[in-house]
Amino acid sequence: MRFAGGWQLPVLVALLVAASACALSLGTPYVPLHRLPGALMDADSTLAGIVVTELRVPRLVLAVVAGACLGAAGLVLQEALRNPLAVPEMLGVSSGAALGVAAPLVLSVSLPAAVQPLLAIGGAGLGGGLTLLAAGLGRSPSAVLLTGAAVAAALQAALLVLMVMADQLDLQLIYRYLLGSLSARTWDDVTGLWPWLLVAVPALVLCAPVLSVLRLGDEDAEALGVRAQRARLAALAIAVVLIAPVTAVCGPVAWVGFLAPHLARWFNPAADAVRWLPWSAAWGAVVVAVADVPARLALAPVETPVGAWTALVGVPAGVALLRSGSRRPAARRRAAGTVAAGSVPQGAQAVPAGPSEKEEPSTGARECVRRAAPGSDGPSGVSASRGEATGAEEVR
Amino acid sequence: MSRRFAVLAALTVVCAGVELVAGRGMSPAVVWDVLGGGGDTTERHILFQLRLPRLLVALGAGACLGVAGLVLQSALRNPLAGPEVTGVTPGAVLGAVAATGLGLAGWESPLAVVVAACVGGCAGAALLWLLAGRGRSDPAQTAVHGVLVSAVLGGLTAMVLLVAPGELGSVVQWLVGTTEGRVWQHWHLLWPWALAWGAAAWLLAGPLTLLRCGDDIALAAGLSAARARALALLCAVALTAGAVAAVGALGFVGLLVPHLALAVFGADLRVTLPGAALVGAAVVCGADAAAQLSSRLLADALDSGRLTLPVGALTACLGAALLLLVVRRAPSRTF
Repeated sequence: MRFAGGWQLPVLVALLVAASACALSLGTPYVPLHRLPGALMDADSTLAGIVVTELRVPRLVLAVVAGACLGAAGLVLQEALRNPLAVPEMLGVSSGAALGVAAPLVLSVSLPAAVQPLLAIGGAGLGGGLTLLAAGLGRSPSAVLLTGAAVAAALQAALLVLMVMADQLDLQLIYRYLLGSLSARTWDDVTGLWPWLLVAVPALVLCAPVLSVLRLGDEDAEALGVRAQRARLAALAIAVVLIAPVTAVCGPVAWVGFLAPHLARWFNPAADAVRWLPWSAAWGAVVVAVADVPARLALAPVETPVGAWTALVGVPAGVALLRSGSRRPAARRRAAGTVAAGSVPQGAQAVPAGPSEKEEPSTGARECVRRAAPGSDGPSGVSASRGEATGAEEVR
Repeated sequence: MSRRFAVLAALTVVCAGVELVAGRGMSPAVVWDVLGGGGDTTERHILFQLRLPRLLVALGAGACLGVAGLVLQSALRNPLAGPEVTGVTPGAVLGAVAATGLGLAGWESPLAVVVAACVGGCAGAALLWLLAGRGRSDPAQTAVHGVLVSAVLGGLTAMVLLVAPGELGSVVQWLVGTTEGRVWQHWHLLWPWALAWGAAAWLLAGPLTLLRCGDDIALAAGLSAARARALALLCAVALTAGAVAAVGALGFVGLLVPHLALAVFGADLRVTLPGAALVGAAVVCGADAAAQLSSRLLADALDSGRLTLPVGALTACLGAALLLLVVRRAPSRTF
């Protein structure tokens, strides 16, 4: 596992190159790889050139940009809430944005294209804000998640009411949109994203160091001079600005914000938020670009939405990564726990929190002591490998 | 206790009455007239062929979901374990949609839909069981994992729907849960299934009450906890599958009703289980009546005839509010 960090870059680049090659050359018409430069050169003269430059390249660019945004936003949310399961889908952000986009479509209110991202941002802010308001900012991670699930369910219900009202044609459109699809996106959609990225990227760079401080826990962060609540709100706002425009263009591509940060962490467990941020964005881009290939080609004449693929693969893979990641800190704590049980709670808060590490400090210490008991690691290992097995089945 | 039952039964009857008169097209006076034996053929048809089966299906499905939710929450000792958050409902939807989409079942062979929903529900529950692993004892963890399982199953359902896109229009109503257009066939299918599994659940009421006290006490009292739990889970899955096959995935009824029932009737399941059935029937029936009334009002206000509010949307909103309450009311626990 020590050299996994070194493998990260080659794996990433190889996957991205393979996915782009497939995305650009496969399909009808099939453009062999050695003809691609030629097709890109004389874009307007040949059919292959037009298809590649006007359809496939913008689609690939959009997949990469959208994936990067979602991956970065996922990491920001997870770090700000100190919760490995805090993803846009679980916080009501995605459902809110989707509702904001779908509502005018069904109610047949015609809007200029520039307003759509604004509506999506409004919806996303509403969903995320509602969740955090209802849950309270400093509450335990599971409380935030369950509240988010409730808010998402309510927003989903509103969406379904809209879908029931829609007629058959609208319904197909909305359903595809809601699953997240990259089909028939052009350069216009890509250029629509740039203004938002111009706002979000500098904010992201400014925010990243604060995120590493937030990981220490609220009290330590306050002691270091960070206003924890305000920083958390800012992080949420950045995440909303990153997610909403992407959702407006290609729908809520599900669970990329869950998978990408975990991939980044798995390859490089010892780093901090600043280091993870670019990797998470890169992994998000790779995930969406790779998932778009089967989405476009699997059932060839019919396009499947990319969001369905990311949901099918992303959730089991993410859970498996979460499991394997949370076993390591547990082992580290077991070593620490035998030395000095008193110093453990701080450590438990500082390591990336696995699902079982969200207890209050006292229970954390107890949990740690319980884990320190010999032989108690067996079931965890077994269940984790079982989880991976189900993950593999899902992938298949 | 019997007074509470009487009050609830009265409430259910009131809900049923409102449901009968709530729809569009007939005024309450006409309904009364038809019930008395009068009215012309159209009105008789509306009342006896459309509204009555719809009412009965709503009552039956509500009772099924209520009992299933209570059984699940008791067997898993988890106040957040509704069928919706344990992967049972999404699994049942997936099974039914897959069977319909692949041509194995259809509206002509309704029993196949029920069986497929049942298989899917079992698969969903099994998936959660595997995924939750060692964290099973922590209610909030199980619920969070259940949300993840639901996401995966939802993705699969979406894939199936994309393979068979022609079904989308009829299936969407069913994804949200609606009692619209239910006829006698649905009722004839629902009641034997519900009665059989409901009776099984009631026979399990004693063991379940013991299970609520914890495995140690149950074992000390001479109960084989694992076997009782497995039977109870099977019961809950079957009841949920029947309800889903009849009315679709009614959001959060299985989570909402047990809390109400426990608050009214207390923790003795021999009393509370029939109580949960009654509460579930009243809630779904009342929600359906409210949905019909409000869609009528909305249609008047917005002047668009096609607006109908599915009952599932209403119950989902109610259930979401309740989930918030449950999460907020227990600040000292880990969720």
